[in-house]
Amino acid sequence: MAEEGKSCKRGYEDPWPPVRGDYLVGNPNAGVVAVTLASPLFPQGAAICGQCKTENLGIEKIVANVISNCNIRFLILCGVESKGHLPGNTILALHRNGIDEQGRIIGSRGAIPFIQNLPPEAIQRFQKQVELIDCIGLEDVVQIEEQISRYNRLAKPYPEQPFQVIKRKAASRQIVAGKGDLSFGAGVAMDTAAWLVIEEAL
Amino acid sequence: MFRFSREQSIVNVAGVKFGGQPGMLPSVLCGTIFYHGHRIVEDEERGIFDGSAAEKLIARQEELSEETGCPSVLHLYARSPLAFEKYLDFVERVWSGPFIIDSADAATRSSAALLATELGYADRAIYNSISLATDEKEVQALRDSEIDSAIILAYNPSEPGVDGSLAILETGGKVLEKGLLPMAWETGLVNLLIDPAVVPLGSGAGSALRFSVAAKARLGLPVGSGIHNAISSWPWLSQKEMAARKCCDAAAAAMQLLSAADFLLYGPIESADIIFPAAAMADILIAEAVRDLDIAPGVKHPLHRLV
Repeated sequence: MAEEGKSCKRGYEDPWPPVRGDYLVGNPNAGVVAVTLASPLFPQGAAICGQCKTENLGIEKIVANVISNCNIRFLILCGVESKGHLPGNTILALHRNGIDEQGRIIGSRGAIPFIQNLPPEAIQRFQKQVELIDCIGLEDVVQIEEQISRYNRLAKPYPEQPFQVIKRKAASRQIVAGKGDLSFGAGVAMDTAAWLVIEEAL
Repeated sequence: MFRFSREQSIVNVAGVKFGGQPGMLPSVLCGTIFYHGHRIVEDEERGIFDGSAAEKLIARQEELSEETGCPSVLHLYARSPLAFEKYLDFVERVWSGPFIIDSADAATRSSAALLATELGYADRAIYNSISLATDEKEVQALRDSEIDSAIILAYNPSEPGVDGSLAILETGGKVLEKGLLPMAWETGLVNLLIDPAVVPLGSGAGSALRFSVAAKARLGLPVGSGIHNAISSWPWLSQKEMAARKCCDAAAAAMQLLSAADFLLYGPIESADIIFPAAAMADILIAEAVRDLDIAPGVKHPLHRLV
């Protein structure tokens, strides 16, 4: 419990960020993250900084890493959009509209804008915890760093526990052997629907 | 290895054959050129590139194809319609085989399909891809074109896993009114190649392997993937030496082929030197494994060329 109280005080739990990705971690006590979309930029001063080129799995990682750190209150979207995928537009849409029952991000113009590994509560937390700063198209690192400094000064920790996204387990199902549709020879077959190797009746 | 009880169709695009029972045909290997960040491309929007370097890369893939017996396809990636026009103009002078039309931008894909038709290359073109993202505008462009070969991307983010991927192909699952296969047939596409849509390691990349077997068993269509993407997006591996990265790339290719794939979208065409030997090796092992299952490899198979 002492550990829990301590981590709450800091605003995040180790190891942070919890989801691996292609990003640079700065000071976890900073109040800003910088998402540079398709531009390989590395501005200083953010809690975490990295690209996001896809409108689905990439965004999930950002959300999971942001809401697990209460210090983060601003997300700066900068750099150029990833053509076709439009992750910047999709992050804005996710924050503004959320997702529908199938996980589709409402209002995104990206190609396949879906959230598949986060519970709805994680999206709601993302919407409440952070404010988005739309600087899409900005590639000047100095100007991005000015924005980071400005919003770092404004940031106050979110007054709740860090939200840890637990990976959803695949639903288990009962395996029942059907008819073998793939033969290994020697009387051994597989039912590919059940993914079960069976001995064929002689 | 194994044999499917369902008949396995063989798709022929400009003389290159995809599909059949495992061990029957050599794997078709598709290397990507002009991809995002390709060092030979100076301007991705305007399609300005180093022609001499591009020609060497295409020639190297063709040379390895001749040597191993694994047919090759040129995977053309373009960022804009103008860039695709420039690439196609170049490619028709140095490459006579099938090519894949690819772009993240739907308008570029549609424009490329119509341009390939106008220039008389529709029978050599494979459209990449029909997916959840395909809208009516893109479908209409395909109807207006003469392209009849396409990759069908079985990506179903609302139901991750093998069952969801099959559902998006057959019925549309929970997110489409119609399955991607009926949609493709109605669009006039005849030669269909199934791609499980490989997601990053840790997000379910492995299910592409099981899906490949399940899709062939259920549909009898050729299957292949860009499993390279799972390897190239693995942050842990990206910190390792080049030898380790190449080793994993080749290993993933061989694993996908062992899981019944008929073709590979193997990523950057520069990887031809590691992928062709790995794929040829996998083809030989598979062909030998099914020898007593009444499957005979064709005359150009690596089994007859390299051992």
